[in-house]
Formats: sequence, C-alpha cells, structure tokens
Amino acid sequence: MNLVVLIKRVPDTETRIQIKEGKVVTDGISWIISPYDEYAVEEALRINEKLGGGKVTLLCLGPNDAKETIRKGLALGADDAVHLNDPAFGNGDATVTAKVLAAALKKMQYDFVLAGKQAVDEDNAQVAVRVAELLDLPHVNSVIKLELAADKQSAQCTREVDGDRDVATTTLPAIITAQQGLNEPRYPSLKGIMGAKKKPIVDWKAADLGLDPATLSAKLETVRVDPPPARPPGKKLAGDAATAAKELVRLLREEAKVI
Amino acid sequence: MEFGLSEEQKLLLESVRDFIVKELQPLEEQVETKGYLEPAQAKAIFEKSKALGFYAMNVPEEFGGGGLSALDTIMTEEQFGHTSDILIRRAFGNVYEVLFKCTAAQCQRWLLPCVQGARTCSIAITEPGAGSDDAAIKTRAVKAGDGWRLSGGKHFISDGLYSDFFVVSAVTDPNAGSRGISLFLVDKDSPGFTVGRNQLMMGQVGTSCVEIFFDDIQLSPENLLGQEGQGRKLVLETLGRVRLGQVGARAVGKSAKLLELMTNYANERKQFGQAIGQFQLIQQMIADSAIEINAARYLLYRAAWEIDQGRDAREWIPMVKVHAAETLGRVADRAVQVFGGMGWCKDLPIERLYRDARIYRIYDGTSEIHRTVVAREVLKKGAALFDVI
Ligand SMILES: Cc1cc2nc3c(=O)[nH]c(=O)nc-3n(C[C@H](O)[C@H](O)[C@H](O)COP(=O)(O)OP(=O)(O)OC[C@H]3O[C@@H](n4cnc5c(N)ncnc54)[C@H](O)[C@@H]3O)c2cc1C
Repeated sequence: MNLVVLIKRVPDTETRIQIKEGKVVTDGISWIISPYDEYAVEEALRINEKLGGGKVTLLCLGPNDAKETIRKGLALGADDAVHLNDPAFGNGDATVTAKVLAAALKKMQYDFVLAGKQAVDEDNAQVAVRVAELLDLPHVNSVIKLELAADKQSAQCTREVDGDRDVATTTLPAIITAQQGLNEPRYPSLKGIMGAKKKPIVDWKAADLGLDPATLSAKLETVRVDPPPARPPGKKLAGDAATAAKELVRLLREEAKVI
Repeated sequence: MEFGLSEEQKLLLESVRDFIVKELQPLEEQVETKGYLEPAQAKAIFEKSKALGFYAMNVPEEFGGGGLSALDTIMTEEQFGHTSDILIRRAFGNVYEVLFKCTAAQCQRWLLPCVQGARTCSIAITEPGAGSDDAAIKTRAVKAGDGWRLSGGKHFISDGLYSDFFVVSAVTDPNAGSRGISLFLVDKDSPGFTVGRNQLMMGQVGTSCVEIFFDDIQLSPENLLGQEGQGRKLVLETLGRVRLGQVGARAVGKSAKLLELMTNYANERKQFGQAIGQFQLIQQMIADSAIEINAARYLLYRAAWEIDQGRDAREWIPMVKVHAAETLGRVADRAVQVFGGMGWCKDLPIERLYRDARIYRIYDGTSEIHRTVVAREVLKKGAALFDVI
C-alpha cells in the first residue's frame, strides 16, 4: 500500500529545556523524530512488510536541519520523503501546519496516512486531526492496535479508554495516529543507514503547493514562555507505621484534599 | 581539516548507542552478580545485533562484514565502551584482523564462520614466562611430516572458555629468535587440547581468562596462519588496530560514560546547601577529565585516519594506547572521588567501572612497553616525526 507518515523533528526528550528572553534556547539541543511519530513509521513499515510490497513516504514540515531527521526515517526503512521546507511555513501554529500538510497530501497518492498522536515538543495533539478535517478524511486517534481488513478497504483500531478498550473500524483512506504501545520501533540497521542517502527527498515550497505565504500566519499568539514550576520537595513522615499512616491520611485529606 | 560527522556516521553512532543503552546496559548488573552472561541472553543479543548488521562491522564486506573504515570502526568501538566487555563480545563480535590473513581455504573454516558468529576466536600469545617479552614463549611447534606437533601452554586467554578456536603463537625455529615464531589456527576440539583454570580477575566480570594447554597436538599445513617464521611480524601488523579499537577507543568511551555519571551526580548531590558541582575542587576533577578525554579522543581519531590513508599508524597507536588507558584510569579514580562513599559502594556501578578500568593500562602491551616504543621511535626518527609540517 502507499502509506504516508507525518513526522516532526523535536528536541530529544532528555533535553534540559532552557528559556532565554522569552524563548526556548535551541542551541546545542540534539534532535530526534518525535517518539509517537516513530511508532507511526514503524507501523507503516510493518504493514508493508506484511503485505510484501508498497511504499512508505515520509512527510515532514520543518527547517533545513529537519533533513537529518528525515534521513533517520529513511534509514529505518521508509522509501522516500517530502520535505515541506519554506521559511513561510516556519512561524506556523497547528492551524498553519495542518493547512500546509493538507495541501501537500492533496498532491500525493496514498491509501492511508499515519502520524503520532502528538509531537512531544509542544504537545498540541492537534495537527493530524486538523489535517483529517481539512481533507475530509475519517480519523482515529491514539491507536494502540491496528488491524487491516483482508480487502484493505478498512482498518480496525483499538484505543485505550479509562482502563478499558475502545474498538473503532474506519474505512480507508483515513488518518490514524499512534499511541505508545502500538509497537516497539526498530533501530536503523547498518544497511538502512548506508542506503538512506540514496533515497529521494523532494522539497516543496509554498508555491509548489499553490499556497500564498500571506495566508500562512499563525492564529496563535505566544504571550510568554515559562518553565514549569520546580517540583516541591517530598515529605518524610516520621514515627512507626501506625503514626505515619494516620498522619498520611490527615495530609491527604487536609492538604492534598484528594480523599 | 574536517571534524564533523557525516549523516551516516551520526546515524550509525546514535543507533549503536541506542542499542547499547536499551539492550545491553540493562544486563550489566546481572552479569556482575551471577559472574557470567546467561547463554540464552547471549544468544538473544547476538541475534538482535546481527539482524541489524552490527555484528563484525569492522570486517571488510568481501568477508561478509560491515565494511566500516578504520575511523568508523574506531568511533563505533568508542560507543562499545559504554557497556561491558562480555556484552560487547557477544553483541558485536571480536573478529581479530589477524584472521584476514587466512588463505581462501582457511577463510571457509575459520574466518567466515567467525564473521557470521557461528564460531568465536581468542588470541593466545601470553605465557606465564612470556608477557611483555612475547618473544620469550616456550610453546613449540616441531616439524612432523608436512605439518607440526604443538606442545606447551598459554595463560590469561580472554574469552577462552567460550571460544572454539585460537590463534596461537609458537616457536617453529628455536635458533631464529623472534623470527622463529609462527602463528597457528588451533581448534579447541583438537586431540591434546585442554582448558585449564579460569583465572579470576579484578574486573570485567563475565569474560573468562583461561589457561590452555597443548599436549602434542597434530597440526596440518592448513593450521599455519601466514608464513612460517613471520608470526611476530603478523602480530605487530594486525594487533595495532585491535589495540586502537578494543583498548584505545573503548577506554575513551568508558571515560566519557564516567564523566557523564559524575557530572550528573555533581549537579544533583547537595552538601552544605549547594550542589557539590559548585565546589571548585569538584570542578577541577570534572574539568581535567573533560580536557583529557577530548585530547585522547582526537588523538584516537587521528590514528584511525592515518590507517584510512593507507598507512599503518605504528607511531600513533602506542601513543593512543597509553593516553587513552591512563585517561580512563584517572577519570575512573576521580569518578569514585566525586561520588564519595557511593563511589565505593556496590549500590552504584561506579566501583565496578573503576575495577574494569584498571586492566586497560596492562593488557595489549603495558603503558611502560608502549611508552618505550614511543620513545624509541622519537629518538630514532627525531621529534620532527610528529611535527605537522
Ligand atoms: C584480563 C587479561 C586478559 C588478557 N587477555 C589476553 C589474551 O587474550 N591473549 C593474550 O595473549 N594475552 C592476554 N593477556 C596478557 C597481557 O597482554 C599481558 O598481561 C601483558 O602483556 C603484560 O604481561 P605480563 O602480565 O606478563 O607482565 P610483565 O611483562 O611481567 O610485566 C610486569 C611489569 O614489568 C614492566 N615491564 C616489563 N618489561 C618492561 C620493559 N622492557 N621496560 C619497562 N617495564 C617493563 C611491565 O610494564 C609491568 O609493569 C591478558 C591479561 C589480562 C590480565
């Protein structure tokens, strides 16, 4: 099948985020494929491996440096990639990003689209859903199990809801987003790494998508960026088990107000 | 001068590091407690790594290996330093480059199965009476018909319990001195081959070090590796790269890992109301470690680059061996100090890494021997040997 996977380049999850003059400092950060997108790539590869053919295309909106992230996806086994690489896309929020991605997908042929449930940098969890709306495609979010019907016309998607499972069947094409648990992503192999450079990446700019840069300004205004408050220190309860338990109940009731 | 990594190099190193962190490091403590790596786990990590093409990456593609350049090999070996010896051996293989001297027929029997991971090889040179002075070996191969009969014994043979064949140095002509030594490929199941004690060591738990004995083993012409009488030359030619990778590069990787651990601790541990990393005496230990590690790393890369230029790098390798091994020694010692009592306590891996570090200054030629080689080269060829112009 022709599968398209949306991938985003994000700071490594181990990064210590620093804020300077109201902005996140990006110098010296190492970048990765957003982990949920990696589940999506893995699932796409597995689907085609199982079917014994097809094509996996990566679609990435990001600056020049995102090429490196795309190349990692190609090293994992994707066949080719489209890089939406235009400064005009750079100031976008989820609305703009979705608009550009949807315009790109309109130019592409696909049987369905996979993405991560959210990107771990801004944690918006909006883009894939918006793309689906713009393209008028069905979408299923946060999928932990994906089963393709034998006729490849539909897919059964399992999701986690309040400690239970929710099973949804969708017709294809659709947009499906990956949640942790969907699979265990592979490592790029030596062969995949050495072959990644030979795989085609095409760059598309606003003009290639028939988009007017003037229509690509963000709807979202960032007023301030603050680091999360430091975690308050823990509390150690003294005394024997009975005394400590009593004190714990009191604190849970009066201070934390959770019981 | 270009110091950046290519996209492929970066991806490869990230992928190898990721594999080490997720698949190998979680097994380290278990190996330490049990004293060995469970065979089922050894098999599992081997199969996983092999499927990714990470086994025997240093071996040329014509022999079925990964075909990495010397520099890429050295940089992956540096990553290997982030885990312990036995896990590296099983996951990534230790295919010694001396085996590339195999003839076509020998390749089928020894080298290729080694590259595929079906067989494992150890190098057996050291004897109780011949360590640094490796030409003083007593193991004898006496001509018998068109072959030889091998007698004698070796000790300290790494991974000898597991290996199923050995590259053995033996005297073939007692009157020719160091030119009378030859190398032989000796199968463990040869009649007359016995494995003696597993010699317990201070560190690198899980990797056996054994005595082996040869009691009148019949060897055929096929067992001879390289030319008769060329054994020491062959060793000098091929063990240099092993030294660079398995000792130099791994020492740099281990030092880097220790620096990471001590830096994190210095930032987190609070005494006198502040992080201990705020104390200048702690900062000095961190600064010196960072400085020495980077010096060792770029010396290492330079030596590997020499090899990729088609040169043997023989004047660079001993420098790397000494500097990387001694950097590791100092960094490990500082790491214990920065961790204080927790550095000495078995609750944390620092004391294990400290013990594991000590051997780097000894095996594959002691620091003293390699310093002697550096001095000899410089005195012979003049200090201009390392002049850039
Ligand atoms: C864990 C471990 C694994 C090993 N694995 C292998 C293996 O797989 N295969 C193998 O063949 N060998 C192996 N060895 C042997 C190792 O290479 C030798 O231990 C090493 O070369 C030193 O020899 P030695 O121990 O006999 O020390 P010695 O040569 O007895 O040295 C003792 C001391 O004298 C110093 N010294 C010796 N000669 C000189 C000199 N000319 N000038 C100044 N100082 C000198 C040394 O530097 C050292 O400080 C292993 C050893 C160990 C401990």
